[in-house]
Amino acid sequence: MPRRVMIVGCGRLGASMAAALIERGDHVAILDTDAENFRRLRAHPRLKMYVGDGVSHETLRSAGIESAEAFIAATGQDTTNALAAQSARATFGIAHVVCRINDPVRSEMYESLGLTTVNANRLVLDLALKAMEP
Amino acid sequence: MYVIVVGAGKIGFYLTRALLSASHEVTLIERDAHISAAAAEEFGSIVITSDGTEPSVLEEAGANRCDILISTSGRDATNLTACQVAKYSFNTPRTVAVVTDPDHVPLFRELGVDVTISTTELILSHLEEELTGGPFVHVLPMQGGSKGIVVIRAPYGSPVVGQTVSRLKLPEGTLLVAVIQKNGDLQPALADPEIAPDDEIVAITPPEKEDELWRALTGEAKR
Repeated sequence: MPRRVMIVGCGRLGASMAAALIERGDHVAILDTDAENFRRLRAHPRLKMYVGDGVSHETLRSAGIESAEAFIAATGQDTTNALAAQSARATFGIAHVVCRINDPVRSEMYESLGLTTVNANRLVLDLALKAMEP
Repeated sequence: MYVIVVGAGKIGFYLTRALLSASHEVTLIERDAHISAAAAEEFGSIVITSDGTEPSVLEEAGANRCDILISTSGRDATNLTACQVAKYSFNTPRTVAVVTDPDHVPLFRELGVDVTISTTELILSHLEEELTGGPFVHVLPMQGGSKGIVVIRAPYGSPVVGQTVSRLKLPEGTLLVAVIQKNGDLQPALADPEIAPDDEIVAITPPEKEDELWRALTGEAKR
């Protein structure tokens, strides 16, 4: 079943997630404050790009958050991601919300508040340690 | 009290000065080195140049023993994070966030921020009062925002003018406390005064009933 996914932040992580989801057949709306960042993406009929701040409810609404089934906060800033993801969950009632948090103490705190967080640094570290196992 | 202030912009700077002159203990955290240097020139060693949303920084500042944390930066995301880290990682008893985007006010309360100060709404409400001179509501949040004190002026032509307090139909969950008459006299609601035009009616209401209460007392929809 194709899903409608909203991604905030079109850095390397956001852009590659958007590309992967499009590949799977999903519909993607991606937001970034800097239109320059959309250079990382190729145009596709199931991909919509919006210039705007993902912490603004008005911007999220105009990008169609009310019909999104999943939400990914993927900017490089923990604070922005935390606000965007918690808006998606609490204000817009989206069930599937993933939030990129780089600080390990903060990601533990957000997990305890019921938010699903992904720590890119932690993931890379774990994989590297695993790769170095004898 | 021990107060941590995050952000040494205009609000944080003058707030710190006021708190210090009222003999409170203050730590001021500012990320920008130029801004914090200016603050340190005035306040000395209580200024920390660092990111007030970082758990290690808040720990160093003593978030686990402070009475209140007030985050005053111009970024809503920063203020929310500082308050949530203080509250949930360090059990800070009260957190206060300055909020720029009024849409974030109910969200921040839901997310555990005890008090939100919306600069936009504050200025707007004062402007409306200045410009219209019409019936007006002041809100003082209590109980973490689940109830608030409101003051609503009954205009000429309001359906409540000429009625006594006990006869008023008010929304469920609201309590009429007192009536301030035009000459300045304060009448407790229990004395059952009759409402005259331009009386200010003091009530306690949950925020979701505020519009209904407004309509009941003024006869018109809230702007």
